[in-house]
Amino acid sequence: MPKSLYIDPNEVLRPKEHEIKFPEIPVMQYAKSVKEELKEGNFTPEDLKHIYRDMAVIREFETMLNLVKTTGGYNGVAYNNPGPAHLSAGQEAAAVGMAYNLTTDDFIFGSHRSHGEILAKGLRSIEILPEAELKKVMEEFWGGATLAVAGKDYKGGNTKELGIRFLLYGAMAEIFARTTGFNKGLGGSMHTFFTPFGIYPNNAIVGGSGSIAVGAALFKKVNRKKGIVVANLGDGAMARGPVLEGMTFASMDQFRTLWEGDMKGGLPILISVMDNQYAMGGQTRGETMGYTYPARLGAGFNPEAWHAERVDGYNPLAVIDAFRRKKALLEKKEGPALIDVVTYRYSGHSPSDQSSYRTKEEMEAWQAEDCIVGYGRKLVEAGVATQEELDAIQAYVKDVIFEMYKLAIDETLSPRMDLVKDNELLGDMMFSNSSVDSLGDATPEVNHPMEENPRVKQIAGKTRFYLDKDGKPVSSMKMYNFRDGVFEAIVDRFYKDSTLIAYGEENREWGGAFAVYRGLTEALPYHRLFNSPIAEAAIIGTAIGYAMCGGRVIPEIMYCDFLGCCGDEIFNQLPKWQAMSGNILKMPVVVRVSVGSKYGAQHSQDWTSLCTHIPGLKVVFPVTPYDAKGLMNSALQGTDPVIFFESQRLYGVGEQFHEGGVPEGYYEIPLGEPDIKREGKDVTFLTIGATLYRALKAADELKEKYGLEAEVIDARTLVPFNYDKVIASVKKTGRIIIAGDASARGSYLNDLAANITELCFDYLDAAPVVLGSRNWITPCHELEEAFFPQPAWFLDAIHEKMMPLPGYVPVSNQTPAQQILRAKKGV
Amino acid sequence: MAHVIIMPKQGQSVENCIISEFKKKVGDTVKVGDVLFGYETDKATFEEESQVEGTVLAIFWADGDEIPVLQNVMVIGNPGESFEEFKPVAAAGIPSETHRPSASSLPPAAPAGPSHSSGHGRPEVSVGIPASADIVPDAPVSPRARMLAEQKGVNTAQVAGSGPGGRIIARDVEAAALAQGHLTGLAKARMAAGGFVSPGSGSGLAGAVKGADLKVWKPSHTEGLPGEGTDYEVVKLSNMRKLIAKSMYNSLQNSAQLTHMLGADARQVQALRKKAKKALEEGRLDVNITINDFVCYAVIRALQAFPNVNSHCLGDAMRLFKCVNLGLAVDTERGLMVPAVAHAEEMDIVTLSRSLKKVADDSKKGSINPDLLSPEAASFTVSNLGGFGVEWFTPIINLPQSGILGVGTIVPRPKMVDGEYRFVPYMALSFTYDHRAIDGGEATRFLKKVAEEIENLDIDF
Repeated sequence: MPKSLYIDPNEVLRPKEHEIKFPEIPVMQYAKSVKEELKEGNFTPEDLKHIYRDMAVIREFETMLNLVKTTGGYNGVAYNNPGPAHLSAGQEAAAVGMAYNLTTDDFIFGSHRSHGEILAKGLRSIEILPEAELKKVMEEFWGGATLAVAGKDYKGGNTKELGIRFLLYGAMAEIFARTTGFNKGLGGSMHTFFTPFGIYPNNAIVGGSGSIAVGAALFKKVNRKKGIVVANLGDGAMARGPVLEGMTFASMDQFRTLWEGDMKGGLPILISVMDNQYAMGGQTRGETMGYTYPARLGAGFNPEAWHAERVDGYNPLAVIDAFRRKKALLEKKEGPALIDVVTYRYSGHSPSDQSSYRTKEEMEAWQAEDCIVGYGRKLVEAGVATQEELDAIQAYVKDVIFEMYKLAIDETLSPRMDLVKDNELLGDMMFSNSSVDSLGDATPEVNHPMEENPRVKQIAGKTRFYLDKDGKPVSSMKMYNFRDGVFEAIVDRFYKDSTLIAYGEENREWGGAFAVYRGLTEALPYHRLFNSPIAEAAIIGTAIGYAMCGGRVIPEIMYCDFLGCCGDEIFNQLPKWQAMSGNILKMPVVVRVSVGSKYGAQHSQDWTSLCTHIPGLKVVFPVTPYDAKGLMNSALQGTDPVIFFESQRLYGVGEQFHEGGVPEGYYEIPLGEPDIKREGKDVTFLTIGATLYRALKAADELKEKYGLEAEVIDARTLVPFNYDKVIASVKKTGRIIIAGDASARGSYLNDLAANITELCFDYLDAAPVVLGSRNWITPCHELEEAFFPQPAWFLDAIHEKMMPLPGYVPVSNQTPAQQILRAKKGV
Repeated sequence: MAHVIIMPKQGQSVENCIISEFKKKVGDTVKVGDVLFGYETDKATFEEESQVEGTVLAIFWADGDEIPVLQNVMVIGNPGESFEEFKPVAAAGIPSETHRPSASSLPPAAPAGPSHSSGHGRPEVSVGIPASADIVPDAPVSPRARMLAEQKGVNTAQVAGSGPGGRIIARDVEAAALAQGHLTGLAKARMAAGGFVSPGSGSGLAGAVKGADLKVWKPSHTEGLPGEGTDYEVVKLSNMRKLIAKSMYNSLQNSAQLTHMLGADARQVQALRKKAKKALEEGRLDVNITINDFVCYAVIRALQAFPNVNSHCLGDAMRLFKCVNLGLAVDTERGLMVPAVAHAEEMDIVTLSRSLKKVADDSKKGSINPDLLSPEAASFTVSNLGGFGVEWFTPIINLPQSGILGVGTIVPRPKMVDGEYRFVPYMALSFTYDHRAIDGGEATRFLKKVAEEIENLDIDF
């Protein structure tokens, strides 16, 4: 809500134009012959023959995979590949045309059906890279392990030919899950990628790249990196939320209206729709979509209609022509752009697809138009190549692929990870666990020195503990609070790391919905802190793309309840790419998530447990200013995805535990260490989130009325989690209540309880008791006490399940019979 | 060089001894053979004589102190010699003050029950702990309570649970541990094994409960039944009584006992007794050889011919003795005791008589060596009730021994002598044997042999 943008009722209510005009979207307009292209100097005959070769490589590569899947071998050499193989026979011209104009500075993102695209991009990179550079890339990759096998029997001495072997072998080894593969075999067929050639992750979630690629473009723009980003999506993906949200994000007006200086202008993102006519068995045109052509989508997003264009994907030269023109647009900051590439998939969705949804006639008609045969014919007709030359190319391609195939299936040369022998190998790859001050070399762009910032000045006048020197409570206005702790860590990092950016639904002038960012607007230019569209999938998806390209980012999800809106990004993308890349990628994303209360069923849920369930995420939930600052510092110093939960109940709370208050300087609290907030000896309370304060009240009552001393431990971090302190405490007390605001069923509380039971069994005087919220909708604020764990519930649990308290009358029903009854009813 | 005097270990089962009195004080000169201090176990009193000469340099304890065996007691040497290095390191639970004045000559009674300060800094969690009357058989026990019970020697079967659903939880075990007092290692092990209950305070130092202080416990016991009825009173058993009870009960539970009875012509024994009495009166003997001594002498002879009877039955093996260690049942004020006379087969009647008298007297005085009271110490036992007029009875075997001979009174019985019936004094012999070890035939032959030995005793003295 920038004040500089005046919403003029005069203009809004009485516009000059009374209809919305759409620009025309060109369809299949390319009409040049090979000779014309030669004449214009767009290609040399050699270039044209390489295009033919690249298409032939892709076709043979996938033929090999198809034969392995359907006949159990290739050229008489048996192999069983149990993994997926989503083939793209028929789409070779589209892939090669897409890649032709791209350099290694240009990134491509793909889908589950991207073998063709990565091979095309790889072959093109090998073609244009200086030999020395290519050699360096190959020699340094996995310490030369991949090259050693790929070049084992090669005596030719031609770096480019060696490069082709390297590419084919690396991709095959990856598909066959070998450690010499591009991602150590952890990505596989649907995720193979190779960043030195500008090939970024392919995504097995349809449309997954739709927002991630936009984030990569954002990285290039904000950090002034060369190159454009291409998202290769299928026509089926155009129905997916991440694509539509990603396109929304990429279309934001602010790039032109509010971003300043060299930051002004569109994102360098090009969506390439590989329109192969089918989405699984569904036909996008005529059945499952209503757009007739995917290109029409551009018209919905911005006045330029994304410069959308529909081109002939059966002619590589037509595709090349389109990409050349769009790339030039993006480089002029006139993006984003969309190319709808018409193609056809001969192969089924996967080898199990019997193509029962289409006729033989249809497939034969398209095969008659085959892009490789057709293009070869044109080259012969134009006198660029003889049929013999083309046959020789085909023979070379078949030879080299067969050779690489034999190497890639060799168990000795191309071993798999031994996860049985080394149980922890993959576990150790889940997180990068590094500690890096700044991910960029540039000087961080800020508007003024930190000490001149109004918020920084305001905090300087605050008392950093909840009591003053005389032990009297500090007034809320003068008290350093939780939001100050988060702010201090974040502003510090903005002044340290030039790559750091933050965005979400209202992050700027308002100061964030909960005023954590107040003051940041003054300190930071638009491109480092901005408001995003209300599109959680895009907020997280773009952050993933931004981070995997090398930037640090803090996306914000305003309410925990909205995590579902970016479910795929949080659960399928963010946690996975570090390990799936074989640790090539890092994921320095700190997702701030605010946990609500008072706002009913869709704004008051604690979904921390959902995040703990997904391997690959670190999950943090501090509830004191000291912990918030220290843990945020650690999260921002690291390179792992951290879901950083904040409770809306506590933004105003002061520091009550850390002696001396919250330090002014920088300090880190390591992720994974629970903290003893109060010592005791009779029972342990382990809490997650804001429940800590209710547990402390319960501890007070327990002490006053029953002389029992509770030890209160704040989990602080859920993943990772060091059990040592909890074990020591339970050994002392023999009893533990694990409490948090998540609905009890299926929550992380139960995970803690199960582990504690195993780890402390002989020391337990009663089974660990889990106190979570009821398995209901969160009722309105006035009724919340019946829903969230209350202080009395702790005493009830002790009385009913641990040791009866004399004369105590329980408030809630914590009896085993009730427990069974509720479970029976599913509540 | 200074010599340290330690508390001797009197018997395998003795853990601590009480100093009854120091006979020397610091600075006294000591000669070899001087009595340094007297001390007592729960069953016997002893005197420690000096083996060295010198001056008493240090005494680490006071009269009435209970001292773990093998602990340093005092130091004798030349004046000026160092003795600090001998100062005993206080064992856990035993006060470290070495010269504290002792409040009494007997073990101080430990305050019973929860009022006894816990020493753990733990507040009294006395609330809601049910009385022992609330003990529920097979009550659930929390893992922590189970672990604590093992550590503290608490038998959870004796504990009432205060947790949800009657679960025995840690505080119940802690309270029980407090109530049963400080246990010695042996007592803990016995408690944990079950079958015993702690009296709360024992005869050990600071009221520590020793293995011997433990009382036999059975779940169905009337332990703790309150008060007195109009027609009866409930009197708790003494420790001694309980030990006897346990051992007698065990004997009948764990062996196959039956008794054979046979009379022996007592004329020869009576003649010998008359002779001995006369010799005593005339001063030719300094020992009063009793009828029982003659009977024992005869039994020893018979046993030597029946190794199976002179034995221990070990269940799957027999311990056959090459000597005769004769146990003698002695009725004392404290209850039945059975001291043993070792190698009795080597003794003539006078020596045997002296030995039997000594162990009987020692038992009555309480100064008997505890090791001699062990059932393992004797290979066979004789119990004589003849003096009280009992004719026949069924004595109970002192396991693991295989047999026991009950000697009854002498009554006149008709006997065919020289073609006519005359009254002849007969001695009643009741032989109880463990049928696991001995068959009826052998038992009969053995008993007959005893009778023959008695009838044909031919001894000079």
